[in-house]
Amino acid sequence: MAAWDLSVTVEDLGPDAPPVTISVTSDLHIGGVILKIVEQIQVKRDWSDYAMWWEQKQRWLLRTGWTLDKCGVQADAKLIFSAQHKPVLLGLPNGVTLRMRASFSAPVFRTVMEIGKVLNFRHPEELSLLRPVEEKKKKKDKKSEEEIYDITDIPLTSASVQCLYNGMPAHFADSPKTEAVYKMLSVSQPSPAPETLAKLYRPASIVDKTHIHTRWLDSSRSLKHQGIQENDKLWLRFKYFSLYDLDPRYDVVRLIQLYEQARWAILLEDIDCTEEEMMLFGALQYHIGKESQSDVQALTSGLEDLDSALQCLEVKMGGESSATEMLENMAAPELNEYLKILRPRRLTLKGYKQYWCSFKDTSISYFKSQEESLGEPIQQLNIKGSEVAPDINVAGQKFCIKLLVPAPEGMNEVYLRCENEKQYAHWMAACKLASKGLTMADSSFDNEVQSIQTFLSMQRTNPGAQMTQSDDNINTLSLVSPRYHKKFKAKQVTPRILEAYQNVAQLPLMTAILRFLQIWQGLPDFGISYFMVRFKGSRKDEVIGVANNRLIRVDLGVGDAVKTWRYNTMRQWNVNWDIRQVAIEFDGHINIAFSCVDADCKIVHEYIGGYIFMSTRGRDQSDTLNVELFHKLTGGHEAL
Amino acid sequence: MDDIDAMFSEMLGEMDLLTQSLGVETLPPESPPSTAMETNFGSVGFTDASLHELEDNDLDALMADLVADLNATEEKMASERGMSKSSTLPTPTVNDFSFPSPTAAPAFTPTSTSTSTSTSPVEPAASTSPLPPPQNSKPSKEEIEAQLKADKIKLALEKLKEAKVKKLVVRVEMSNGSSKTLMVDERQTVRDVLDNLFEKTHCDCNIDWCLCETSPDLQTERGLEDHEHMVEPLSAWTRDSENKVLFQQREDKYAIFKDPQNFYIWKKDRNTLKDMKEKEKEMLLEENFCGTSIIVPDLEGLLHLKEDGKRSWKPRYFLLRASGMYFVPKGKTKTSRDLVCLVQFDNVNVYHGKDYKNKYKAPTDHCFLLKHPQIQKESQYIKYLCCDDEWTMTLWVTGIRIAKYGMTLYENYKTAVKKTSSSASWTDIVTSNASTPSPTPKAKAANGHAPKPAQESAPTAPSNQSAFPPPPPPVGILPPPPPDPGLPPPPPASMLAKGSLPPPPPFSMGGSFPPPPMDDLPPPPPLDDDEVEMPPDFMPPPPPPVMGFPTPPLPARGFPSPTSGGRPPPPARGFPSPTPGGRPPPPARGFPSPTPGGRPLPPSPSGRILPPQPSPVSLATGSPEGSLPPPPPPPPPPPPPAVMAPSPMVRKAGPPPPKRTTPVSAAPSGGDFMNELMVAMQKKRTPQ
Repeated sequence: MAAWDLSVTVEDLGPDAPPVTISVTSDLHIGGVILKIVEQIQVKRDWSDYAMWWEQKQRWLLRTGWTLDKCGVQADAKLIFSAQHKPVLLGLPNGVTLRMRASFSAPVFRTVMEIGKVLNFRHPEELSLLRPVEEKKKKKDKKSEEEIYDITDIPLTSASVQCLYNGMPAHFADSPKTEAVYKMLSVSQPSPAPETLAKLYRPASIVDKTHIHTRWLDSSRSLKHQGIQENDKLWLRFKYFSLYDLDPRYDVVRLIQLYEQARWAILLEDIDCTEEEMMLFGALQYHIGKESQSDVQALTSGLEDLDSALQCLEVKMGGESSATEMLENMAAPELNEYLKILRPRRLTLKGYKQYWCSFKDTSISYFKSQEESLGEPIQQLNIKGSEVAPDINVAGQKFCIKLLVPAPEGMNEVYLRCENEKQYAHWMAACKLASKGLTMADSSFDNEVQSIQTFLSMQRTNPGAQMTQSDDNINTLSLVSPRYHKKFKAKQVTPRILEAYQNVAQLPLMTAILRFLQIWQGLPDFGISYFMVRFKGSRKDEVIGVANNRLIRVDLGVGDAVKTWRYNTMRQWNVNWDIRQVAIEFDGHINIAFSCVDADCKIVHEYIGGYIFMSTRGRDQSDTLNVELFHKLTGGHEAL
Repeated sequence: MDDIDAMFSEMLGEMDLLTQSLGVETLPPESPPSTAMETNFGSVGFTDASLHELEDNDLDALMADLVADLNATEEKMASERGMSKSSTLPTPTVNDFSFPSPTAAPAFTPTSTSTSTSTSPVEPAASTSPLPPPQNSKPSKEEIEAQLKADKIKLALEKLKEAKVKKLVVRVEMSNGSSKTLMVDERQTVRDVLDNLFEKTHCDCNIDWCLCETSPDLQTERGLEDHEHMVEPLSAWTRDSENKVLFQQREDKYAIFKDPQNFYIWKKDRNTLKDMKEKEKEMLLEENFCGTSIIVPDLEGLLHLKEDGKRSWKPRYFLLRASGMYFVPKGKTKTSRDLVCLVQFDNVNVYHGKDYKNKYKAPTDHCFLLKHPQIQKESQYIKYLCCDDEWTMTLWVTGIRIAKYGMTLYENYKTAVKKTSSSASWTDIVTSNASTPSPTPKAKAANGHAPKPAQESAPTAPSNQSAFPPPPPPVGILPPPPPDPGLPPPPPASMLAKGSLPPPPPFSMGGSFPPPPMDDLPPPPPLDDDEVEMPPDFMPPPPPPVMGFPTPPLPARGFPSPTSGGRPPPPARGFPSPTPGGRPPPPARGFPSPTPGGRPLPPSPSGRILPPQPSPVSLATGSPEGSLPPPPPPPPPPPPPAVMAPSPMVRKAGPPPPKRTTPVSAAPSGGDFMNELMVAMQKKRTPQ
């Protein structure tokens, strides 16, 4: 068999180096070619990750056993010898950029699985990669110093073993640098400044919301195929909102990143919510931010604290052993102080009047004066079941508690005015607990008092005008989307968030995150990915929404869902790749067909197939993912 | 020692104070309700009255009373907690005991004559709680004394704990116009009360049964949710309230779970949804209730609103969201950001309004309203809404309940289905054995044996003499019910209970019960020869059933399962019960089918959550083989073709049940406190 010359560009020799020419025969297999190249360039290193990329055909030659003949390679082929894993800049859901190695030769689906393994995401199949939205050049110059975490050193193979060291996967425990990366992954990021928020791109309409979905990479083809270069930036995002088997014990990274993605979606108005919901989201963000900080501190102090904790416990036990003391403690704590009370009545303009108030169990009794407190109170208010709302203005030193006390005739409106923050915090905490039927003897009382005080002090340093940011103080405006920046001033937002905050202040960190995600998932528009399409026979653009259980047709004129098809009534769906049209048949001979206006119809196809794939998880009880099925459902004709 | 003495006297002082204030303390201070109920129901005040009387009695009587009561309730609570399944366990323990209450207390006095003796009824109770070892090897006099004191303290603490439990007596009106009077304490949920009523009324126990609160003042009606504490809505009633509690069937109670498509795909024509397959319904439920978050039906539409005490009804476009009820303000679109919140559901309940066309000039009679449960009169704080038709109203009311209660509602439903399936079989037997008196433990209480833990008291209680002819003693016959907590039907226990044996309370603990002490079981009553054939070879079924039986294949449906089979095949003609299908050779009388027709099968098929396992088959084959356990049920049908499948999401535990109220939470802590106190006492003693 005749030998002929094959020229191969070796990427690692630099862009200007001439291609290496080797003499081959057609029956030489790819492995042999690689061996010849390596021998010729005489560089000693681990070449195991390297493979041949055929430039003209846009194809990897990964089967080393195939001969050149079988691959169809001839003398005119331009081959590139390059590493399969190269660094990319990965934009994480939390907005942080991470530099890490990713496979350029495997289908994106597998690349994502690998990334997930390294970053400790369970169920990475719910994630995928997309091309980032280009930022405007001007701003980019300023932001170029943005911190980039780098974990390119972590070998990809080591990630397969899931062992924990110091509460984190072993491969993160190697150095302080990687530990910092893990911390970034598993702890929520501080809230962005409202100014940055306002500058970021926000979709203004449902049409805008379709843009982002045109950017998803094709899961069945490799990064290289799709024109991604080394050190290109890619976004890693949750793509399929079928959140399977969420478990706070194992899913720290997954939950945090999901939370971050949800938080950004809300802040950037990608998903709509009502004012009330926004305030609750704001309150939860504040709480999660605060808890994460203290959590980290607890984590870092680690074992040293164990001793003191033990001591603490001992002291506590010792204290409890005194029975008489315990009996004393049985008397429920009370609050007894002078407060000003206002009972707004129709057509009267009575101001606040001072009374001696006594908070016992779940009710407040008030008397003319302290001396009369042994007699019958003027009135007794049972706070249980009441609505308790703050009415405060720290700058104006106004600390009022608004109570709506239920009575058979309706709700009694009562305002309690406190002198200072401390008094307010105690009475407010007591009211809050009493409204839930708890007394001040409840263990959460002290926490409640404390969290109210923290929140107040936060406002004191932030009297609306000056927007100084520090670690401890969060501008409440950064907790709500820019729409509400316009609608309210910080002064107005703060009490509303405070009000919502009272209902969540006692939640542990993970519970708060789960609650956030639950409310997010409860939003009507949750988990719908929009695509601009044109239905067969129609001339106008419409939008189709893909959710985890249904397809939604949105009429742009009306701006509302006009039709919903559920997947479980779907008989089959096909893609005509020539005219790039998706055709779906539902039960009852309902047929729809549409072509995509700006996205590739492969993306829509993959979305539908992907959701159906997600719904099959857990059926066979095995933990291994049926990758073949995924590709079967999402691949289309060209893949595989 | 001085310390302890001082402490004890202090405690007694407390007790005294408490006793005196008891009359007040049993009721919420500023809710006059219960006194009100007194006037209205004539019955409601009983507890109250009895407690007032007790003031004059000496402390001992109270102690005995409280302790007995406490034990009874605790026992009950414990067993109920352990098994949310069988309805056998009678709630009436409390009821019946203190029901004719003025006399109840005196009834106890004989057993305890002085403070010192009053400890005696307590000690058995103590044995149920984890306590430090009673005595050491060399009991000196001092130590005995100390021990006595410790007991007293413990006793006093228990009483403190019990004294805090609020109790009300309520008259429940039946659908036929008659009424039953029950005492409920604040720890009882509506579910408990329903179970109690099932037992008392022998109704068919289907899941539609519901307690419903009505208010003639507001012309409202609300079905209480199963997880609510019964006392809470009652406490909101006013002094002169004419409110009532009705025991009735309401189809809308669990309609959402029976036909979820009507609520979740409500935009479609209901007729086309009618014959939706079970499979698809299950899928819908799974999608909406089994994910990480509950999905509220996306309801929206034009409703008429009357609020702020105004007279007019204004049409508005409303939307239901998980976070509350919203409307579209004038001139705006229905995008989320523009919506105005009418109300969030944390503090309000949803009520049906009756005849509002007349009362408030509503556009139609299909009205519902949202108000704080404590509001009992017309008020500007009530929001009235009027729908075009009844179905729309059902949609909204149900949607709001889902938004408000979320997962809890689904849990309630599942519990209800389980209970129903078990109690249905139960009632069947009851009806066929109508002569058998209900074996409620009340008699025990009346005889002063209540303090004993149930297992012990059951066999010995001589109390039942009059009621139960002591049945013959084929003791060994009864194998324990299948120790399989995962499956719904714990029915055998209940069946046994009513049908043939007085139920040993621990027996009905469905889930995690220990094998019941077999010897202690009261033997079954004489079996009617006509009805039951005792297979000759059956008699001594080996005791190993406890372990030896492979987890019996409980039919997933939850109807009386074959598990009861360990006992002599009970049923015959009179018993259309499926039980004979169990292990013991059934009296081959030709009813191999466990689902005899003509008998209301408890769960409507739509109500089921579990895949129907073909139990009938396995039963049929199992029975001829004599006492062999039937083959395990075939595996559930294989998953459907992947492509058409819904997303199987993770089941998530529901939100925690609403927090209990103070007194309740005080109770458990009281228990801990007690133990700690004991430890403290021992510490003190050792140095001496």
